[in-house]
Amino acid sequence: MTENNQDNLQKVVIVPCSGIGKTYGTVSREAAYDVTEDLRPDQTQLVALSLLVLGDESARASLVDSPAVTIDGCKLACATKMVQECGGNVVKDFAVLDVYRRYKQFKPQGIAELNAGGYKLAEALAEEVAAVVDGLVDEQDTLVRDLLIRSDSSSEGGSYG
Amino acid sequence: MPDFLETTIDKFTFKVSTDRYYNDEGVWAQVRANRVRIGLSDFLQQRSGDVAFAEVKPEGTQVAYGDEIAVIETIKVNISLSSPVKGIVVKVNAAMETAPESINQDPYGEGWLAEMEADDWDADLTRLLDPQAYFIIMKAEAEDDVKKG
Repeated sequence: MTENNQDNLQKVVIVPCSGIGKTYGTVSREAAYDVTEDLRPDQTQLVALSLLVLGDESARASLVDSPAVTIDGCKLACATKMVQECGGNVVKDFAVLDVYRRYKQFKPQGIAELNAGGYKLAEALAEEVAAVVDGLVDEQDTLVRDLLIRSDSSSEGGSYG
Repeated sequence: MPDFLETTIDKFTFKVSTDRYYNDEGVWAQVRANRVRIGLSDFLQQRSGDVAFAEVKPEGTQVAYGDEIAVIETIKVNISLSSPVKGIVVKVNAAMETAPESINQDPYGEGWLAEMEADDWDADLTRLLDPQAYFIIMKAEAEDDVKKG
């Protein structure tokens, strides 16, 4: 992807669970930090679920025209429901439990401080989220490139024959 | 469709199916043809939380009444479940491997754990609780849980 195209792209919004005092909630947030700070910092933006719940205008505005990936800590799926309620476009919703079922060796424990398994699970989850982000960025990149090509073609005012 | 005894405590509603028997842990046993199907009560699954994994003793395993028949790992705890039946495991629900969440979604139906051939069902019955008796115990435990917060 070119830098020019990058400027035209909307960042993917990542919204993790806000569950305080729950191991799976902590895993969801660690994964979100991994994606937005380390793995894909230029393509993603972290939005705190609590801000959406409180009706923060800036947080809600970030959902407009941007795809969102949610990471829920339990089946209540608060992150997904809240983003949808705010009019956001949830393109992929992750549930920590579902990811754990794929990585049984990473048993998460701890709350304020995760155990090694918890961090490993968060890393694995973050990689899956990053893969989704890559797919979304590629889609957007293709769309922008097509638009630029069409724009260039029309401005050339080509002649027939 | 089975009938249920039902109670709502705080914001939680618990159902006890009336077409089977229970041990005091909340593991149910239901006679189906010549086998006994076992699973978790609604109260036990709600109290335990979302199931991540369920490991049931493999087919061919002989267990005594009260022996461990399965271990479930939930988002809260690991629980060892005691067999309500003395006998041999003849079938394990394949969903326990692929979709253990069925325990939470349908504890009296699709979320069954295993089927057993009982050595002496009549003897097992003397130790099991009928639905009404289990309902009383379950309700007391649920009320106690709410008090403890």
